[in-house]
Amino acid sequence: MKEKIVSYIKNKLVTESIETINIHEDLLGSGLVDSIGMVQLVLFIETEAGIKVSPEEMTIENFMTINHMLRFIASKQNTDTKQI
Amino acid sequence: MKSTYILPQLLESVANASPQSEAFRYLEETISYSDLHRKTEQLASYLISLGINKGDRIGIYMNRCLETCIAVYGILKAGAAYVPLDPFTPINRTHAIINDCGITCLVTTPTKRRKIDNLLNEQNSIKTIIGDTIRNTTESISWETIFSVSTDNFEAPNILEQDLAFILYTSGSTGVPKGIMHTHYSALSLAKIAADTYGFTSDDIFGNPAPLHFDPSTFGYFVAPLVGATTVIIPDAHLKMPASLSALIAKEKITVWYSVPLMLIQLLNSGTLSKNDFSSLRWVLFAGEVFITKHLRALMNQWPHAKFSNLYGPAELILCTYYHLPEPPKTDDPIPIGNVWSNTEFKILDENNNDVNPNEPGQLAVRSATMMQGYWNNKLLTERSFHKVTIAEGYDHTYYKTGDLVKLNPKGELLFLGRNDRQIKLRGYRVELDEIELTLLRYKDVEEVAVLVLGKEEEVQELAAVVRPAKDACINLTYLMEFCKVELPSYAVPKTIEFMDDFPRTSSGKISRKEIGKLLEENQI
Repeated sequence: MKEKIVSYIKNKLVTESIETINIHEDLLGSGLVDSIGMVQLVLFIETEAGIKVSPEEMTIENFMTINHMLRFIASKQNTDTKQI
Repeated sequence: MKSTYILPQLLESVANASPQSEAFRYLEETISYSDLHRKTEQLASYLISLGINKGDRIGIYMNRCLETCIAVYGILKAGAAYVPLDPFTPINRTHAIINDCGITCLVTTPTKRRKIDNLLNEQNSIKTIIGDTIRNTTESISWETIFSVSTDNFEAPNILEQDLAFILYTSGSTGVPKGIMHTHYSALSLAKIAADTYGFTSDDIFGNPAPLHFDPSTFGYFVAPLVGATTVIIPDAHLKMPASLSALIAKEKITVWYSVPLMLIQLLNSGTLSKNDFSSLRWVLFAGEVFITKHLRALMNQWPHAKFSNLYGPAELILCTYYHLPEPPKTDDPIPIGNVWSNTEFKILDENNNDVNPNEPGQLAVRSATMMQGYWNNKLLTERSFHKVTIAEGYDHTYYKTGDLVKLNPKGELLFLGRNDRQIKLRGYRVELDEIELTLLRYKDVEEVAVLVLGKEEEVQELAAVVRPAKDACINLTYLMEFCKVELPSYAVPKTIEFMDDFPRTSSGKISRKEIGKLLEENQI
């Protein structure tokens, strides 16, 4: 999952050309990804991880860095499995 | 009481009257009026020691952060004009602006180091970087050093209200950025008129989501200091995460919110409005594009205690009209832009710059205290954008031609009909692109729409619509096309309708029809 997100951001979303993205890098504040990019990223994560991101979950705590996203995805997949 | 003529006096008077009042806040960081007064004097002293003269242009290259207010007022106190540079804009464009107005000094923060390095790699006029120490040979100085500068010998330059205060660059329709020049007088006029119109007080807390290069930032940076209020600078991250923005507005107890409609619609759709406490919110102001009436109604029903007002004005005037909504709109008709505010008058002109007959549509031209001085380094464009009415030999009234089509409704309120250039001729028919958009918006689950003309030659031109459906909604293309055929004259029915999850936007959040057009022509949608 981590590699998929990193490569999607690097190849499709970044607003400036960069060599690497650190999973702790602030994607929201740095301007590395713009707001349309964030919407695309959320759609990408929904498809790839098989989860549903509700509007209330569109928070800085869940999407600031790739690390935050991975934690969020894991917790979603966990609760979703429990519900089934 | 002493009269106020120039912007730095705003800080001085609050700093003297109530020094500990909070001037600006950014998350956990905060600055009082007296601290801001002192720190801006330190920056001004340093700038003057560099040899910066009255009227020189100094760039501000920053994300939204607390240092922006120090940069703005420090530059103004030195007698210079500030030029905000959008840090998210491509480097070539930033270069074009730096060269156009001859910026020799940039004020920034360490977070922009990577981009500053890139900027300095290119040939340009920059000699000094303030706000970060860099490895390059260019002279640079950190904020810490600025804040240790002695102001004992500071002599405030003699600034007049007619002196240049800032230049806002916007993308011209030809693609060359236009530098809109505002003076201390036009900016201070804006602050005074806005404060009178809305009755702002020192108890107010302004939410400022606008970046400095976008003219609504004048509210947070000048209107709030005029009344001695506090401005909360909204971080970039919150603007991308509506649920977090919603929580922040509640937590900061913001009383005056001013943004483009898009941000308010995103808040509405975030599903968090009922979970947070917005009881402090007193005024919700919006401008910059049309607020789709059905969304506005939904928001007003969510926040019944707040007053809503539609503001209008191109950056050349900052603002010029307002319309207070007495209640949530009952129909989906677009709301008026209302009446011109104080110290302002208008005309509605036909194609030959004559006044139109009553109730006929025409181009809005405005004469106001908030009007720009002109476009930097572009006399021709300045002359073309002004409409002069000779009152007597040697005495003219100068109006700014907005390029926007308006007409008066029976109540004498101005209705915004669209951009002048959004009215096109298609196979001999006059087509209003904005009217087609408004029609499509009435269709269920159509969240936003852009209608454009494709093709350069008139014979092969055709209309294309791109629709953003509501989240998780599925719109049947055949039904939508049928709807268009019923609601629109045949020549105005789009030949194609495409769907997009989200639209490309300008840095101020407006739909970028230019980008959408490009994507359509390249078959990328």
